Amino acid sequence: MLESSFTNLNEPINQLPAIQSLDTQSLSEQYAPLNRLINLCVTLFVCVLGLAIYFQPFIPLPNGLLNVLPYIIWAVAILGFLGTWFSHAQDQVKSYALRESDLHYSSGLFFRKIVSQPITRIQHIELKRGPIERKVGLATLQVFSAGGEMHTFQIPGLPVDIALQLRQFILQHKDVVKHG
Amino acid sequence: MDNQTTSVATDNIDTDSLSNADKSQTLDDWQVLSPVAILYFAVSVFKHLLGNFIYLIPAFAFSYKSVLEHPYIWLPAILVAFGLLSLFAFLSFKVYRYRLTEDNIEIRSGIFSKKHLNLPFSRVQNVKIEQPIYYRLTGHACLQLDTAGSSKNEAKLVAIKLDFAQQLKTRIQNHVHDISLDTENLSADTTGIENDSVDSQKQEVELNQRKLSDLVIHGITSNRIWIFLGGLAPFYDNIFESMGEWLTTLGIDLSDLFSLQTHSLLEVGLAALSLTMLIMFVLVSFSVIGAIISFYGYTLSKLDDKYIRRSGLFTKHEVSMRLSRLQMVVQKQDWLDVLLKRINLKFEQSSSFASNLNTSAASSKIIVPSIKPHECQALINDAYPGNILNTLVSDDGFEAISKRFIWRNIVYVLMPLWLISAGFTLMNDKLMIAALISGLFVVLSGLVVLRWKRWGIAKDENFVYLRKGLIGVDYYCFPTYKLQQTQFQQNFLMKKRQLATVKFILASGSLKVPMLPEKLAYKLIDEGLYQVESTQKSWM
Repeated sequence: MLESSFTNLNEPINQLPAIQSLDTQSLSEQYAPLNRLINLCVTLFVCVLGLAIYFQPFIPLPNGLLNVLPYIIWAVAILGFLGTWFSHAQDQVKSYALRESDLHYSSGLFFRKIVSQPITRIQHIELKRGPIERKVGLATLQVFSAGGEMHTFQIPGLPVDIALQLRQFILQHKDVVKHG
Repeated sequence: MDNQTTSVATDNIDTDSLSNADKSQTLDDWQVLSPVAILYFAVSVFKHLLGNFIYLIPAFAFSYKSVLEHPYIWLPAILVAFGLLSLFAFLSFKVYRYRLTEDNIEIRSGIFSKKHLNLPFSRVQNVKIEQPIYYRLTGHACLQLDTAGSSKNEAKLVAIKLDFAQQLKTRIQNHVHDISLDTENLSADTTGIENDSVDSQKQEVELNQRKLSDLVIHGITSNRIWIFLGGLAPFYDNIFESMGEWLTTLGIDLSDLFSLQTHSLLEVGLAALSLTMLIMFVLVSFSVIGAIISFYGYTLSKLDDKYIRRSGLFTKHEVSMRLSRLQMVVQKQDWLDVLLKRINLKFEQSSSFASNLNTSAASSKIIVPSIKPHECQALINDAYPGNILNTLVSDDGFEAISKRFIWRNIVYVLMPLWLISAGFTLMNDKLMIAALISGLFVVLSGLVVLRWKRWGIAKDENFVYLRKGLIGVDYYCFPTYKLQQTQFQQNFLMKKRQLATVKFILASGSLKVPMLPEKLAYKLIDEGLYQVESTQKSWM
């Protein structure tokens, strides 16, 4: 109850826990391939839709659209493919870390970002699972602080049981219990 | 806290019922407002309508002659509108009921859609007393209770006696205080914020007040003019046209005045200059009037651990904030403020409370307009004892950000834009425009350097200090333990040069410092997290 164990404010800096040397955990192995599959499917769907509009015999298309449509389809296909490739590469470097009293999530290939969330500042937690995530047993952990909705801390692509364990850990954490 | 309320004169229903409530602990019957509330409802509906129809005013103004010629249309229309308005106000008053219990307030309101609001005192974040000008004769006031939730959850007690409102405020705040004292388990010794409220004297201390001359300065320096200009933008054409007509009737011909055929360049320039000065003068006086309306009779005082701000010419606002709710102090100086050596000081609390409020006068953040540096320092020291902002400012103790900031913005952002546009205009033989663009490029580059110069960060044992700005300069200071979240950002170019961007997220908003040395960035975050997690102090 009392924080007598935490009076060492003058501790040398180099002995503080550092976010530079986090013991990071990678996301579920299914997460990156699944995202790749979804992105490819979306790209394919848009391309097929474009082709269907181009070749359908029912409604005559205006000439301008008819000329441009093939280029649009090509552009969507190329950009979609590149985007999928890039976001797959990004998915593979996403990782998170759990320390005794904070959570960290790092992401980004060219633009690295490490978000750190002290557990004592957590207001509430949400476990989000879309239909596809439910199918493959993944979950997204969302953590809300008073920093506002713009700064919701979230870890995607966690295996459900690990997400549940994380949630349990946070809910039972002494800091959260104390500050409700 | 109960003994305070008994000393009140029991000359009306409201105060009467409170003392009853205190004695018998509960009060089950629903209370009716004072009939003055009808006025309040009428005015609020009128304001709402005005807000929606303000765009019609120019159209109306241009056709008012033809409207005036048909009194049999507009007279009944206005009468009907007036009748509906009073009926609505009366009904709103009729259906409004409130009920107070020991630790709870309930409000029932709404004519068509009924609302029943139930608010425990312990959930109240902020208590505000507002006194519109038409309440002053009868001595009534509105009591507004803000919660941490959405703006729809806020409660407003319309038209209760002012002294009753004051009592209720202290009662609610003491209630909140007691609760938080219980839960924040004896961490009082660490900061002195959570003083024992019982034995400390209940004396309100006035910290600061603003004279009329200060408000005039605030009106001149604050940038409200530009907001006003922006709002007027759709009507520019009409305004200039009608102004031209008006000037012509006065015997001044604009096209003649500015024609280079009949006048020398100097004359035209002088005429243009004086016209601009005139317009500026009018706009500045608008801004001054705005500042006086919202900040007239400004006082900032302190009662226990609460800051109380009172101001307003027509509607008197009273905002109070507990010191523990304070997230950050911001010291803002625009370029005019720098010249006049004045500072706008802001006490910021959690943005979710502030977001329900729009105007600066009603906002729940506490602004102290246009104070002198030593007053500002005194106020900051009062809120955050032990801070070294003053010495940091005078000794320039801030850590500068990397010079790459200048390089990046000029070479990667401005230079390509300049090259493309200058090349394009040169190819079309528009030498003048190319020269103008180049001039703009130089000015913007200068601004980038200035921006770089303003950036700075410092940290001591308890606080983080930040400096930023462009021509003006702003200082931010927050206790490290108020941090909600931190972010470390770095792109591949920055990684090569061992630089990083740090973002601090607080309940009042986020602060970002770009291009810091990587080591410093890591240190700031590690120490910040450590302080949040080890001290266990509540951010609220």
